[in-house]
Amino acid sequence: CPAHFPLLRHHGPSARASPPLAPEVPNFCIKIERSQPAESMALKQISSNKCFEGFQKVFEHDSIELKCKMRFGIYLPPKAEIGKCPVLYWLSGLTCTEQNFITKSGFHQAAAEHGLIVVAPDTSPRGCNIEGEDESWDFGTGAGFYVDATEEPWKTNYRMYSYIKDELPKLIKANFPADSERMSVFGHSMGGHGALILALKNPGKYKSVSAFAPICNPVQCPWGKKAFGGYLGSDLTKWEAYDATHLVKSYPDSHLDILIDQGKDDQFLSAGQLLPDNFIAACTERKIPVVFRLEPGYDHSYFFIATFVNDHIRHHAKYLNA
Amino acid sequence: SVEKSGALLGNPSNSESNENEPEGLTFYHMDLYDSKGRLEIFPEEPAGRGDGALGETSKEPTGPGEDYRSSDQSAYDLEKEVDELTKLYGLDEDKEIEQELLGGNIATAGIFESKETPAHKEGVAAGSYELGSDGSEEEAADIYCATCKIPIRAFDKLFGDHKDHEVTQLANAVESAKEEIQKNMCKLEEQVTEMENFSSHLEEIFITVEENFGRQEQNFEMHYNEVMQTLTQRYEEKVDGLGEEKKQKLEALYGQLVSCGENLDTCKELMETIQELCKDKEKADFIKAAVPVVDRLGEFFKKDMDLELSTLPDFEDTVIDFSDVQQLIDSINTIAAPSAPVINPQAPNSATGTSVRVCWGLFSDDTVEFYQLYYKQVSDDTPSEEQAAPSPPIIKRKESRSCENAALVCWESGNMNPVDSYTVELSKLTNGENGDIITESIVGIPNCEALIQLEPGQSYIISVRAVNMGGPSERSEPVSIHTTGTYFYLNEDTAHPLLSVLEDGLTIACSEVENLECDLAFRDNGFTRCIAILGSMIPFQGKHYWEVEVDENMEYRVGVAFENTHRHGYLGANSSSWCMRHIVTPARHKYEFLHCGTTPDIRITVPPKRIGILLDYDNWKLSFFNLDIAQHLYTFNSHFQHYVHPCFALEKPGFLRIRNGIAMPTSITLL
Repeated sequence: CPAHFPLLRHHGPSARASPPLAPEVPNFCIKIERSQPAESMALKQISSNKCFEGFQKVFEHDSIELKCKMRFGIYLPPKAEIGKCPVLYWLSGLTCTEQNFITKSGFHQAAAEHGLIVVAPDTSPRGCNIEGEDESWDFGTGAGFYVDATEEPWKTNYRMYSYIKDELPKLIKANFPADSERMSVFGHSMGGHGALILALKNPGKYKSVSAFAPICNPVQCPWGKKAFGGYLGSDLTKWEAYDATHLVKSYPDSHLDILIDQGKDDQFLSAGQLLPDNFIAACTERKIPVVFRLEPGYDHSYFFIATFVNDHIRHHAKYLNA
Repeated sequence: SVEKSGALLGNPSNSESNENEPEGLTFYHMDLYDSKGRLEIFPEEPAGRGDGALGETSKEPTGPGEDYRSSDQSAYDLEKEVDELTKLYGLDEDKEIEQELLGGNIATAGIFESKETPAHKEGVAAGSYELGSDGSEEEAADIYCATCKIPIRAFDKLFGDHKDHEVTQLANAVESAKEEIQKNMCKLEEQVTEMENFSSHLEEIFITVEENFGRQEQNFEMHYNEVMQTLTQRYEEKVDGLGEEKKQKLEALYGQLVSCGENLDTCKELMETIQELCKDKEKADFIKAAVPVVDRLGEFFKKDMDLELSTLPDFEDTVIDFSDVQQLIDSINTIAAPSAPVINPQAPNSATGTSVRVCWGLFSDDTVEFYQLYYKQVSDDTPSEEQAAPSPPIIKRKESRSCENAALVCWESGNMNPVDSYTVELSKLTNGENGDIITESIVGIPNCEALIQLEPGQSYIISVRAVNMGGPSERSEPVSIHTTGTYFYLNEDTAHPLLSVLEDGLTIACSEVENLECDLAFRDNGFTRCIAILGSMIPFQGKHYWEVEVDENMEYRVGVAFENTHRHGYLGANSSSWCMRHIVTPARHKYEFLHCGTTPDIRITVPPKRIGILLDYDNWKLSFFNLDIAQHLYTFNSHFQHYVHPCFALEKPGFLRIRNGIAMPTSITLL
């Protein structure tokens, strides 16, 4: 930070409020730069750091689906300077922003080694001024649940499913050396749920999928019931359309290789929020290939993610670089 | 208006107004991370409150009314500036930021006025100064006099001693001072690192000096002892020699003495005899006695009396040869000639028809400048007529193994008498032909096996000859080796009695256990509890791959084990084996990846029917794959201390088919 000027932050319509129980609120020195000449999908670079000979950048843009400014992290490996690279999408969990994964998980070395672009979007629209959006940390801000909401007052902005599925890939393709034919998705907790449902609802779109401690069966767990109730109303069929365990039952027999890591000492596992057994049973029934690893001593945190993220990147690289 | 602010904040007339005494050095919070106590930057710190605490003032204002008017005006100017800045940076009407700006960078906007608090802006009646939380202090220094190198008030610049001095923004001065310090800090850090490096280098040199001393001491001691020993030897030799000489001389002299004595006795006796004789009166008796005496006398006088000394009492002066001692002494100061190198025995594959590779080692601390190699051809082109060439060896086909990069070929000697060495001949086939052209031969093989480096993806024909003084034998029956993948055979010696190998040599079957009590014929080297069998050892570095085909309901263990894995144990239950185990429980398929009896907790939803096993010696990994869907199942990361054998076991009746000698499928190469 230059010593002359105080920290200046470009605010949106209103300031961001931190959720009460938020575990992670990063502190960053943010530099304002003039944005590029206006295009329909204009990106504003917020930060750029060299990492393992590639670059970890953060961009901001006006989202059409979410009707607000959205940020995402994108890691460009060294190989991206020479040619197009496959894209791996990371979906974060409850209360996270685009910062958590890029600062805590230590994925850069593996991504650089395997030549993968890694995109880490935010977990929900922000600053939409919806009443109640900041009331709880497991619903509203930071808890988009990767669905397209159908209920008021959420349905205008809370369309994370479409954002991740359509808008973001289009944006990435238009602005970065990305091979749009090769993409995969993975995530943690709520993001694990997002990764699984995106892959299961779009056969063939993603070359591979993996998850850390995913919410496998949201219609059966307290988190899911709260979120789906709020975003989708009371029609259970609408819920099932976003539930991985249900989606597996009708998944057409396409090639999918799922890797799941789950910490054995995860408090949310014992609290019945994650329910991996249901998912495994459904996959076994439907013969969907899954390798599920229960890791003793590990919890729900980014320390757990950091431990196994290299295995996951390699898993995806196998398919993305094939 | 400056004047007015001066009046507002300056020292009242009753104090030493000309003495430039800023009331405490405060730095406005331009950088939120700076601490407040940065006052040391300015070398000549004038007396005053130096803690930079805001909100302190020692001076009372002059009067309320005057202040009020002035404050309004200054506040107005300030507000305009703030507005401009706000517009410039697109900021909101954010109170916080406003406060910051007001409390902060007025200097950067080029205003030499001192700061006012928002309280002033709102026109708070100033009976006393009500300073806001981040309000500035009255009479604070806000510019820097470069000439005097102290901070001063703007007022003083215009109206005080510093009128003609060069001034600069306080902020700038701070910046440059900070920079200066930072630079010096860096230099200091560099110095520290340099010195640390140097000191650790010194430590190393210290140790080296000790070592060198030790070596020199030893060397000298050795030489010195040699010299001393040689000197002692010379001394003893000389002394012995002298003693010898003395003995000889004495003996000679003694001999002379004795013979002298004898002669003396004889003389005396003769004299006495003559005396006696002359006493005798009878003429006839006298003549009778006198004649022999005269004879005797005659004899006696004929004898040669050697009255010369036989030996001289003097001892010879001998020169002791100290030349070798001299040499030794000289050699203390010279570098000893090195000891002889030791030539290694000829290694297989180290010779061709026109060249040979010689290796040697030097087992000492000698200094060597260069080596000289001598060779002499020992003619053997005329085979001795006494010895016939040996018979060709017989290659053990089944026990020969290969992988992509090498082959291990074993054979029987084929001869009753011992053989000097063996020669292996290879032909690399191109398109299946040219089997007669020997592409490579390896000579000087001492034992009945050879590990041969080969190229991947090729076919070779390999044969062996035995060689002795009579020359080489005929070629053995050749064996084909294909370097398409790792090939091993199943070692039936290690099989559990209930496990049999079918005719193809690569399918194992487990028989029904009808009667547990019936006597099973356990093999000496075989498994006794686990219904298992070992494959032959894979003695080549690099990656090795093979496959196993099972029925979905088969219960099996497949993996690798050391040669000495417990034959009474179960595969995976000890530290000498690693395996993937599958059993079927009523609820589900259960998969375990066993080593030392423990397994990670892994669920697999699609039971594999074709399993790929990848052994990577270089990276110490053993991986398992479901080949039908190219799915990675699990990888052991284990440092294999020895070469391993593939191992296979069945837990209930059934079959298990093995495929080897195949290339790794591309779908699993990336891992």
